[in-house]
Amino acid sequence: RRRTSDSECFSWEILPVLSEEECQGVELLPAYAAPILCKKETSRLVKEVSAIYPLPGLQHLKRVRACKEEPRQHDVEILICLASPLQKEESALSLRELLPTVKAECSSLGEPFVVQVPARPPLTRPQFRESSAHWPTSFHENKLVTKALDGQLFSWEEKNRMQKYMDQAIQAAKCGAAIGMEAVGAVVVNSSTGAVIAVGHDCRQGCNPLLHASIVGIDLVSHAQGGGVYNYDIYPDCKFFLSPNNNECAEIDAVDSPAGTHPTAVGLPYICTGFDLYVTREPCTMCAMALLHSRIQRVFYGTPSPDGALGSKYRIHSRRDLNHHFDVFRGILEDQCQELGNECHQVS
Amino acid sequence: AMHFLSNNNFCHSPILALELKWLSCVLLDQAKEAMEQGEVPVGCLMVYREQIVGQGRNEVNETKNATRHAEMVAIDQVLDWCQRHSEKTTDVFEHTTLYVTVEPCIMCAAALRLLKIPLVIYGCRNDRFGGCGSVLNIATDYLPNTGTPFECIGGYRAEEAVEMLKTFYKQENPNAPKSKARKKD
Ligand SMILES: [Zn+2]
Ligand SMILES: [Zn+2]
Repeated sequence: RRRTSDSECFSWEILPVLSEEECQGVELLPAYAAPILCKKETSRLVKEVSAIYPLPGLQHLKRVRACKEEPRQHDVEILICLASPLQKEESALSLRELLPTVKAECSSLGEPFVVQVPARPPLTRPQFRESSAHWPTSFHENKLVTKALDGQLFSWEEKNRMQKYMDQAIQAAKCGAAIGMEAVGAVVVNSSTGAVIAVGHDCRQGCNPLLHASIVGIDLVSHAQGGGVYNYDIYPDCKFFLSPNNNECAEIDAVDSPAGTHPTAVGLPYICTGFDLYVTREPCTMCAMALLHSRIQRVFYGTPSPDGALGSKYRIHSRRDLNHHFDVFRGILEDQCQELGNECHQVS
Repeated sequence: AMHFLSNNNFCHSPILALELKWLSCVLLDQAKEAMEQGEVPVGCLMVYREQIVGQGRNEVNETKNATRHAEMVAIDQVLDWCQRHSEKTTDVFEHTTLYVTVEPCIMCAAALRLLKIPLVIYGCRNDRFGGCGSVLNIATDYLPNTGTPFECIGGYRAEEAVEMLKTFYKQENPNAPKSKARKKD
């Protein structure tokens, strides 16, 4: 029943912004394989070939594959070893050269040929599909990633809430644009209570050219927690909301966060722990790293930006060499968010 | 281009040599002050036409704002200075050198690019967050919509900067479990 109303209600689609590793195409390596002429010999051959060529670092590759291509002269093929990157099909090594010690068994193996095998284990279902077309691999599926890629991660109710938050960000962006700022808006939400903590817009034409919407959003959260740097008296559409236990919540969240990996160190204000940011366009590098320093939980942006750091130019949120990672999704009210940009360029 | 130079051949221009003599004292004092306040010990100075127009140290705890790195604090001071002296901010930033005890992080490096600061001179590398080559290279990457690339010179009095960071993280760690216990009370 819900399914049909889903597509009726939302004009947009929410997509995960995955890591570099999850997005890239499948890298291939040339390898030698050979037909197994006598199927009954398969398990013995696997054992012997694996002992000679253990394929370190390529545990994701299956040793044998069933042959499906017609006309079929044999049922199974075995992966022997990697070939040199420059190996040409015409000059492929012979079975005797590849497996000089497996003399007696050679009769059960056909002449080797060169195949392309996936260099890395597949991380997503699309990568798995692409990899399998070359050589079968194992796949440890992350069900959440698959769901996200299929657009099935969020319920109708969740999407409805997300749309409201993004709409609030769009309204803030318009207010900012009306006083000469870039049309970008941001809303910070406590993801466990759904409460809006801060609403703000870009202020870069004011006292500081670095006051992008995300930086404003972070500073408004600081204000809500008794800190803060800039004064927003002249920007009535940049506001924060004090809830009686805001402070307490943030601290408890920080210590007991399910991620548990970054408990609050002495005094370090990981102020956005447990919070989500809705921002009309993809944050730049400065903003993306500011969100990382603040330990944001998730970022939802409407439309990509040219040097954007959460998917376009970099994927700051998913770098293994940085100490905090967060989830990023794009596409909520994408058309409306993109329109904001167009209007802005017409003005300036 | 990024260069690493020893202290001896660091002063390649006479003006720079003079500047550095008195700058370095102020710079490390900033970092020390940060440490005394329980902040990550990083200090920076912004120099425009041989005068300090901004100086800063980390103010993350004080402001409960994780973006208040020394560079961001100093940038605000430069903006104030411009207002007081009726100078155009773009002109000033485009002729300002940043001296900072630790390689700017990715966020600060992007901020410096957006402001078109041409030259950054720093002490030690920032292996965790560095935006001038250590983690990413925001200083020189092709980012046509993010200001202009800037030149980086690293390695100036790096040992002192590293020592301070080491001391800071050493004194921080033993406290962590204590503060957790306190919270449970
Ligand atoms: Zn930004
Ligand atoms: Zn920084």
